[in-house]
Amino acid sequence: MNWVEMISMVSAGNYNEVESILREYPYIVELADHLREQKMKVIENLGTYVDITMRNVEKLGGHAYLAKNKDDARKIAGEIVGENKTVVFSKTNAAYEVGLREYLESRHNEVWETDLGEYLVQISKGWPTHIVAPALDMTREDAAKAVRKIDPSINENSKVEDIVAAVRKFLMTKYVKADVGITGANAVAADSGAIALVENEGNIRIDTVMPQVHISITGIDKIVPTLRDAMDEVMVQAAYAGIYPPTYINVTAGPSSTADIELKRVSPATGPKDFHLILLDDGRMDASQNPDLKEALLCIKCGRCYFSCPIYRILGKDWVSTKSPYNGPTGVMWNYITNKDPWPASYCVHSGGCKEVCPMKINIPEVIKYIKYMGSKNL
Amino acid sequence: MKKQEGLIRSVLYKNLMEDYTPFPLDKKLAVKWAAGLNVPRGGRVIIYTSYMYQMASVFKSYEKYVPTLGSLGKSRILASIGSRFIKPSDEDVERSMKILQNIYRMVSRVKADVGYLYEEEPYSGSLLYELGFLDEFKEYGRKVLQFFREKGVEEIITVDPHTTNTLANLKKYINFDIPFRNYISMIGTVKGSGKFVMHDSCLYSRFLDMYDTVRDKAKSAGIELVEDPTVTGKGVGFCCGGPVGPLNDELSNNIARARAAALKSVYENVLVACPLCYVNLEPYCNVRDLAEVID
Repeated sequence: MNWVEMISMVSAGNYNEVESILREYPYIVELADHLREQKMKVIENLGTYVDITMRNVEKLGGHAYLAKNKDDARKIAGEIVGENKTVVFSKTNAAYEVGLREYLESRHNEVWETDLGEYLVQISKGWPTHIVAPALDMTREDAAKAVRKIDPSINENSKVEDIVAAVRKFLMTKYVKADVGITGANAVAADSGAIALVENEGNIRIDTVMPQVHISITGIDKIVPTLRDAMDEVMVQAAYAGIYPPTYINVTAGPSSTADIELKRVSPATGPKDFHLILLDDGRMDASQNPDLKEALLCIKCGRCYFSCPIYRILGKDWVSTKSPYNGPTGVMWNYITNKDPWPASYCVHSGGCKEVCPMKINIPEVIKYIKYMGSKNL
Repeated sequence: MKKQEGLIRSVLYKNLMEDYTPFPLDKKLAVKWAAGLNVPRGGRVIIYTSYMYQMASVFKSYEKYVPTLGSLGKSRILASIGSRFIKPSDEDVERSMKILQNIYRMVSRVKADVGYLYEEEPYSGSLLYELGFLDEFKEYGRKVLQFFREKGVEEIITVDPHTTNTLANLKKYINFDIPFRNYISMIGTVKGSGKFVMHDSCLYSRFLDMYDTVRDKAKSAGIELVEDPTVTGKGVGFCCGGPVGPLNDELSNNIARARAAALKSVYENVLVACPLCYVNLEPYCNVRDLAEVID
């Protein structure tokens, strides 16, 4: 099966799955509408919300940082991690955006992606194809070939279950000795400094509690006013990604703590003794002040727009990727915000499917039109 | 690609500002459809083709022609030579004539004295807008608006989605204040036949809020439409590949091929309502335009 056939099949499957979820759980649409309003409040006043969030992270005993750009983010994370450590990563686009894995490896750290798809991409020395399903372009045979590198019992006839089990077995040896867990955040609650993460595999749960240091790196666009909004965001993201209910929703508010003795909250308890939140700007603050671009910051990275896009469905990761972890229609916007690169926008055929399927009702074609225009100024 | 975009912009802009057409074209061919119908020249209400049906195959191959058009320079003699070799096939001309004549007849049943600007008709500037050349689009749009005003045009009837969408954007960007309507939205009772899967025009469906309008018109005429929500749903209607044609013909064709395969999985005969959708999908499936199956 070639890429075009595979993505056609996957896209139809995602369409049916999301439609079925929205029929079965109609409150998701209401949550999405409310979430848009809440996220827009933050975008309109992003600087203030960054300050509130950082203050509340510190109040919980965590550490908060504002990284202005990619280099800044790498340095902050590099200093926290140090050298010669074992680091487990959950899938985090912000880390991809700044090239964090490679940077930490260059500092003599052993770094492992723990999301299955991302792990397959890592050991294949590839690049994520889709924001939610990074190894979407890999067949069972491709995955088996990659995993054979760490488990010789896997071959091209291995079942998917066997491939998954082999990766699980390998990663367990890394979890138990990991010094640092690095995750992203689907949402960050300004009112409490808590982060929310949604997943199905269970790797994020382990990454966030087993190592003694947890670093979350995420964009300032992920800030929402309240923890309730953060919970809304993970539910909406999961539903529009096509897996609902999600297997796990994780909330982390500071380092591990307990109030079991005299109801006095102390840290650490069993989980991490340190929690670090790195908030990444990298063009987002400028975008929030640009009326033609700011809607892009509403994106919750569900990846649904990819499936509706004719260009993505032909070019796949050859469209935007390797320049940016963000691909498809939202990737055109995000590649511009974070890399100031307008050229992928030129291929947009304004099919408009992206805006129809977007849970945040972002007028993606209009934003891309602006990016095309900005590109045309440099012809 | 950047070079190609730059070349297209300069060729387009030059041709439009000098001659109101995106490339040197044979206007006699383009206006031939109106001759047999005695369509009034000019008038308060006009049908506006913007050369879309007549020159669809040339628009599709714009990438191929741009280097030649760029080298033609400003010479009118060279441009005239260009118009002779950059033209649609006789078959395409014949087909576009029938479509435009049919649209005109359907429109005339609900609106009297609809005129046409013949050789003076300006191209709308769709390509400038769709390729993101917004400064040039606005500048040319003002020229077009002024031209229509000078001709005494008070109402415009469009026949394709690209021109309709362009006028909608001219209204937004430069306050284009001449009222316009698309023919599908205004024609009355029509008859038709056949069974098809609909390939929506992106612009009608998702930008001009006509997803249901087009379907309702086809169905009320007696046409049976076969639907599959994963192929013909509003959010997943894909694209024929046309808009990227000027930049990358191969990519455009790959999109068309993939779309045709999806449509054929629903039904063997495809219905479109856009001249560019037709020329892009036609190599890969049996396709008809709405204006070929209703009257």
